Amino acid sequence: MPGFDFSHHNRNAALHAQGVPLPKATSTGTTIVGCIFDGGVVIAADTRATSGPIVADKNCEKLHYIAPQIWCAGAGTAADTEFTTAIISSNLELHSLSTGRKPRVVTCMTMLKQHLFRYQGHIGAYLVVAGVDPTGVGLYTVHAHGSTDKLPYVTMGSGSLAAMSVFETQWKPKMTKDEAVKLASDAIQAGIFNDLGSGSNVDVCVITPEKTTLLRNYIKPNQREQKQRSYLFKRGTTAVLKEKVITREEISKYVTVQELPSDDDVVVVEKMDIDA
Amino acid sequence: MVRGRWHTYRHGSSQKWRSQSRNFNVIILPPDPSHHKSILHTDRARFRSMAITFAGGVILGADSRTTTGAYIANRVTDKLTRVSDTIWCCRSGSAADTQAVADIVSYHLGMYATMEGKQPTVGVAAGLFQEICYANKEQLSAGIIIAGHHPSHGGSVYSIPLGGSLHRQSYAIGGSGSTYIYGYCDSYWKENMSEADGIGFVKGALREAIKWDGSSGGVIRMVVLTDKGAKRLLFLPDQGYEGPGDK
Amino acid sequence: MLNANSPLASGPSYSFATPPNQTSTNIKQHSFNPYTDNGGSTLGITGDDFAILAGDTRSTSGYNINTRYAPKVFKIGEDDGTGESAHIVLSVVGFAADGNALKERLNAIVKMYRYQHGKPMSVKACAQRLSTILYGKRFFPYYVHAILGGLDEEGKGALYSYDPVGSYEREQCRAAGAAASLIMPFLDNQVNFKNQYIPGSGEGHALEARKATPLPRAEVEQLVRDAFTSAVERHIEVGDGLQMLVVTKNGIEEIYDPLKKD
Repeated sequence: MPGFDFSHHNRNAALHAQGVPLPKATSTGTTIVGCIFDGGVVIAADTRATSGPIVADKNCEKLHYIAPQIWCAGAGTAADTEFTTAIISSNLELHSLSTGRKPRVVTCMTMLKQHLFRYQGHIGAYLVVAGVDPTGVGLYTVHAHGSTDKLPYVTMGSGSLAAMSVFETQWKPKMTKDEAVKLASDAIQAGIFNDLGSGSNVDVCVITPEKTTLLRNYIKPNQREQKQRSYLFKRGTTAVLKEKVITREEISKYVTVQELPSDDDVVVVEKMDIDA
Repeated sequence: MVRGRWHTYRHGSSQKWRSQSRNFNVIILPPDPSHHKSILHTDRARFRSMAITFAGGVILGADSRTTTGAYIANRVTDKLTRVSDTIWCCRSGSAADTQAVADIVSYHLGMYATMEGKQPTVGVAAGLFQEICYANKEQLSAGIIIAGHHPSHGGSVYSIPLGGSLHRQSYAIGGSGSTYIYGYCDSYWKENMSEADGIGFVKGALREAIKWDGSSGGVIRMVVLTDKGAKRLLFLPDQGYEGPGDK
Repeated sequence: MLNANSPLASGPSYSFATPPNQTSTNIKQHSFNPYTDNGGSTLGITGDDFAILAGDTRSTSGYNINTRYAPKVFKIGEDDGTGESAHIVLSVVGFAADGNALKERLNAIVKMYRYQHGKPMSVKACAQRLSTILYGKRFFPYYVHAILGGLDEEGKGALYSYDPVGSYEREQCRAAGAAASLIMPFLDNQVNFKNQYIPGSGEGHALEARKATPLPRAEVEQLVRDAFTSAVERHIEVGDGLQMLVVTKNGIEEIYDPLKKD
């Protein structure tokens, strides 16, 4: 399985003993939910990632692809949820290829729990696994220590209590797809507004035997309003203390230089608020 | 002015998010006068589960509460786990540990049945459980009751408490809530009960445990293992644990 | 047979000879912690003839919101009985219970001063008195970062900021609380024009720094709003509402704007 490198363990243990704090991992103090309905399953998540009390990412993706009809919502340490789902996605595809069958949700859940159990909770991935396979609809939670639960509606993460209160008051058996999507997004919004670890937007993924629909930013209840002032600085406001010109010949030793079609073309790689 | 000198009094509480199921299991073992009854219990996990023997086989019973700290992570947990058609176990302790152990045993019993062309005895299953629990006792927090029915051996109940020891008993109870029902079990236990009486005994014991122990609750689940196979029973709190019984 | 009291919590104990070892690994020390961090942020900016104190209205503990409206900025010395209106404002952030106790104490002192001397307390005197109050609890401090605002003897905006044990200083602007480290650099740049140079005024080190001048009130209010809407974007403990108290020679004006609630 994955090759973890422990060569820095002794050094880090010594540093830690001297009082150097552990580096802060980006954790998704999250709200994630899942809910089955008549003919399928829906999972949903908020989009806030935090590092302590600071918002590290305002619009991150917590819905992870496992297989076309199996998706996973992740809470806990961001890196662990991403890598764990990626590894299991890869192994599940190989398994599917070797057996010549469509992957099953139980298989995915079992691979996840066995992977996580082996690491005794050190891999901090808390997952909601959902999907549709030839045996029907599946919905599970997988905890970092490797325990699993199978339920008709589930919540996880720091906002799980807020979200569960919505499910426990409004869930009913045999809901329609639209009812389930509404209920799941309401549960996420309960987390967004009542749990500080959750925030920003609602992502939803609906899985039916026919198709999977990822509704990225299904609800955006927290758009930032227009700023009162413009913070564009006049050119020359920042002091230039040293200037060095690197010629094209020089730089092309290290990177590939490509000519723009014309001097007037400005290439915007990523648009910022300030460009608007 | 030295503002940096001020140090904050913030304290971090690290909560262990290891989910634990709390249950109460009763196992009824087959009638065998040579077996003295004894009661096992696991403390920390606060699970309630039991298994008993009766005239025609065994009955396993458990509540359905799984908690993470004060939060009920699952109120309809199924702690009665199948490891072969007529050998089941009641899990108590760390949910992750007991699920992993049960999965491994289930795999080995499956292999045994295929390779040997016959069903394993309950003793074989219990022996497998014990080997895993004893070899890994430093890492595991698992208290397991194994109960099953075998065509030639009849019903039997085994209990494996924390250290990995193995005990055959006529009935076994486990979990911290079991302290509440020592007296109940001691008073009402009879060897060779009928199936209906056995179910009544298990249900009565679990009701007491649920009533007095705050960390157990939810529904009562049972499995009756006889020569006819496995039969699941369910009793709901909103019906006073009277029904529906057969699902 | 296992001992009936064998404590799983403290690790398994297997021997009949040795009693369960309860103190092996996880020793729990019980203690009472009198402080809580209730999050939130405050900030103050002064102009030529006004002072603005602002704070968000969210109160938190851990990942929970206690309330979406708990003011952190207060008028000091206002008396409905005598019709005496306030001319001093105080903001407190940190531990809300201590903040309230401190506000109540300062409020009583400023009123008593007026009754005993027949004149309102000057902001300068009030600032010194607040320092004394805080230092009085040097070894069981008010766990707050306080900012005091008003108009000085010349009618100019005055702002004093404090550490929890009473060290204080008059300043042009100050951010305090959870998002102080996010807001303060913004204020340095936009109020005191730090790291800004006048374009074309020279080469390299000869470049002339942009000089800070007192800003008009409307502009300061805009800066305060932008500071808070930005802090809300990146700090989880800041949000719900923005409360501003503006001190001018005409009295104290209160402004409330909603903030994001996530």
